[in-house]
Amino acid sequence: MPLDEKIREALARVAKAPIPTDRETSLFDTGVIDSFDLVDFVADLEKEFQVKVPDNDLHPSKFESLAKIAMYLNSRGAA
Amino acid sequence: MSALAGFGHFLPAGVLSNETLAAEFHVTPEWIVSVCGIETRRVVAAGETVCDLAERAARACLQDAGIPAEKLGAIIACTGTPHRQFPGVSAEVQKRLNAGGIPAFDLHLASISGLFGLALADRVCEQWGPTLVVAAETMTRVMATEPRVKETAILFGDGAGACLVAPGDAPLAIRDIRIASDATFSDALRLDFGSTLQMDGRTIIMHAVRKLAQAVAELLQKNSLRVDQVSLFLFHQANLRLLERLMKELKIDPSQCFINGDKNGNTSSASWLIAASEAKSAGLLRPGMKVVIAAFGAGLSWGAALIEVV
Repeated sequence: MPLDEKIREALARVAKAPIPTDRETSLFDTGVIDSFDLVDFVADLEKEFQVKVPDNDLHPSKFESLAKIAMYLNSRGAA
Repeated sequence: MSALAGFGHFLPAGVLSNETLAAEFHVTPEWIVSVCGIETRRVVAAGETVCDLAERAARACLQDAGIPAEKLGAIIACTGTPHRQFPGVSAEVQKRLNAGGIPAFDLHLASISGLFGLALADRVCEQWGPTLVVAAETMTRVMATEPRVKETAILFGDGAGACLVAPGDAPLAIRDIRIASDATFSDALRLDFGSTLQMDGRTIIMHAVRKLAQAVAELLQKNSLRVDQVSLFLFHQANLRLLERLMKELKIDPSQCFINGDKNGNTSSASWLIAASEAKSAGLLRPGMKVVIAAFGAGLSWGAALIEVV
């Protein structure tokens, strides 16, 4: 399954609003996830993609949009 | 080895309701509860100072411990909202308690300073004797600085809490304390001179949940304890939604967790001390119980302590 699709599936588990089709749209500004959903979402990403998000990377800017999430997961060697 | 010999707290009489804040920020009281779980906060009166709060909590603590001020070995005052640059709140508390001739100093670390103060007192009392840790905050004065931001203005209240740490093993033995700091994201929660509080809520919540969960898990693991063997968790009452998320993460039953943030709001460094004092007054600290204290705050800093009621 392509990376974007897997991210969308993980996001759908916590999303409070429709997931934007535009990869660059902020997931925070559109109300898709709030601060507490973000905690669950990052934990879910770690499990789903078998990556560890180190403390130094634990910043919302890395998870703000589908594009940024994909870029980050790629940088962590996620399949 | 040292122990907690007493607790005390003081809350100012003024109450700031969700209705008042909701009217100011054009939101509903229900929205405030939905985002932080806080219903009311206490507010200092005009002319009432952080030292007034600290003194009242300190006196209540000494009375609870049954120790006169002249027997104190050291005073550690914890605050992020001192009344002046220096000398600190500790100097004023020392003067008012007439406890001269002993070391008295401030820990200026905001929310985490109560727990760091406890960790320090655990060692200080071995050399200097019974150590008073008093945490006091007038956070609503900080929040009064313009521009007021609803996301932070709804959180904070004023108050003070104190504990007395003394050599020995009773009545509440301090079994373990772990504290840590990492300044990578220190800008995410800060109070610059002349400014209002700056808080990047998303970053703070992400780190608070992770660091608190790790701190508690490591504390329990090192002491061969499971979550269900802890009778009471006394967390820094930062935001009740955060505490709910933390309880879910650690699989803590809500009945194990003392909550007073709904009434008092986030009183920063004083919050877990006020919670401990209220829990003791309510008869919730009984012999044989294991109690975990955990806090998180600016720095970023965090920690956890294991207490056993002997």
